[in-house]
Amino acid sequence: MTWLLALGFLESIWDFVQENGAELAEGLKNTLKVSAIAMAGAFVVGLVLGAARAHRVPVISQLAAVYVEVIRNTPILVQIFMLYYALPQFGIRLDAFTVAWLSVTIWGGAFNTENFRAGFEAVPVRYREAGAALGFRGVSTFLNVTLPIGGRIALPSSINTYISVVKNTSLMYVIAYPELTTVALQINALTLETTETFTVLAVTYLVIVWSLSAVIRLLESHLALPEEAK
Amino acid sequence: MPEWTEPVARYVIEQGLVNTLKLSAIALVGSALIGITFGTLLTIRFLPMRAVIRLYIEVWRGLPILVTIFIIFFALPAISASFRFDALTAGAIGLILWGSAQVAEATRGAVGSIPREQHEAASALGFGWVGRHAFVILPQALRRLLPPMVGLLVNIIQNTTIVQVIGAPELLETAERQVERLTFEGEEHAIEIYGAIMVIFFVISFPLTRLAAYLEKRLT
Repeated sequence: MTWLLALGFLESIWDFVQENGAELAEGLKNTLKVSAIAMAGAFVVGLVLGAARAHRVPVISQLAAVYVEVIRNTPILVQIFMLYYALPQFGIRLDAFTVAWLSVTIWGGAFNTENFRAGFEAVPVRYREAGAALGFRGVSTFLNVTLPIGGRIALPSSINTYISVVKNTSLMYVIAYPELTTVALQINALTLETTETFTVLAVTYLVIVWSLSAVIRLLESHLALPEEAK
Repeated sequence: MPEWTEPVARYVIEQGLVNTLKLSAIALVGSALIGITFGTLLTIRFLPMRAVIRLYIEVWRGLPILVTIFIIFFALPAISASFRFDALTAGAIGLILWGSAQVAEATRGAVGSIPREQHEAASALGFGWVGRHAFVILPQALRRLLPPMVGLLVNIIQNTTIVQVIGAPELLETAERQVERLTFEGEEHAIEIYGAIMVIFFVISFPLTRLAAYLEKRLT
């Protein structure tokens, strides 16, 4: 009896996917697009500002600290509202796509700055001294010594940031950017197939997040520091 | 102060701030109770139970909180009418599901970090599993759990804004209503009002972030 019910449910899910698959795929594409841009952006922002923080580059370091604290201590949803609903008051009108990737990049960049700062600061001073003794200058020491070691120390925490970035793209629902969640809710409003809609939506997110963490864990073990370097 | 600010501030603080704080407190207590229980149970080597708790953690950590809240608010009532919640309750449940998954994972680590001798000593004193964990292991694990719990509180406070999407009158929702009311009356004050909301969140969160960092440092 139970398995018959389960079979019936699976069938209705299958019908649902066949009917709405094209739209859902479009939403998924937008989710992945925004996530990819934001991950790359957050990586660059975190790397540059994290290095500036760790090496106490004057002015940039202090500005980065303010940026990190403001973003980390205010809700990302309010930041999205600011960019999309408040900035037009100053005559700055950004479209939904721009706000979508920009807001998660700003958010992820702040968390990544902190991740990379901690990673770079965890590199023992004697390694940098060894670099200097080998004749490396400032930037070469960073590129050849601090970055390869500190970057790998920062890897686990920055990975969590990237996963959060993907999940946070769902918040673009509030600005009606057609990513996965927005599309799913539109389909739900039209078809009223609520159970099917949310099952498909939840499973899709879990597949993305779980496979991302699986891939990343593989990468992590691949890039893990040899024991003696810790 | 311009004339428009007073009714806005009154509404946002009396309605929004109160609900945000209430929601944060409920979510924190609920997450701690469920999370610490699940996290402790996760250290028992009983495979079926571990598998169920693991699934609970991975699902609620994996889903965006927004999607979890939509499921509770829109999908559960479609399954049975007895699962119909008002927006604040649905939001609280969503935050607790997510928060308890975080706490469970942290608790597993904290309980696992207590040396085996502590378990053995407690057993030698005649404690059973429950007494051993309640009186010996958890009190020690809680010390290690404190910094991540403060960090979680900050995240919970930030994430309460997500219930805005289902119309629960917390800080962001009350602010949006005021912005819309003023726009309707021909005045634009979105920057000031949302800016004020950011300031309120910052003033609450920043000391807590510092506290979490301080506790973390003191522990090591």
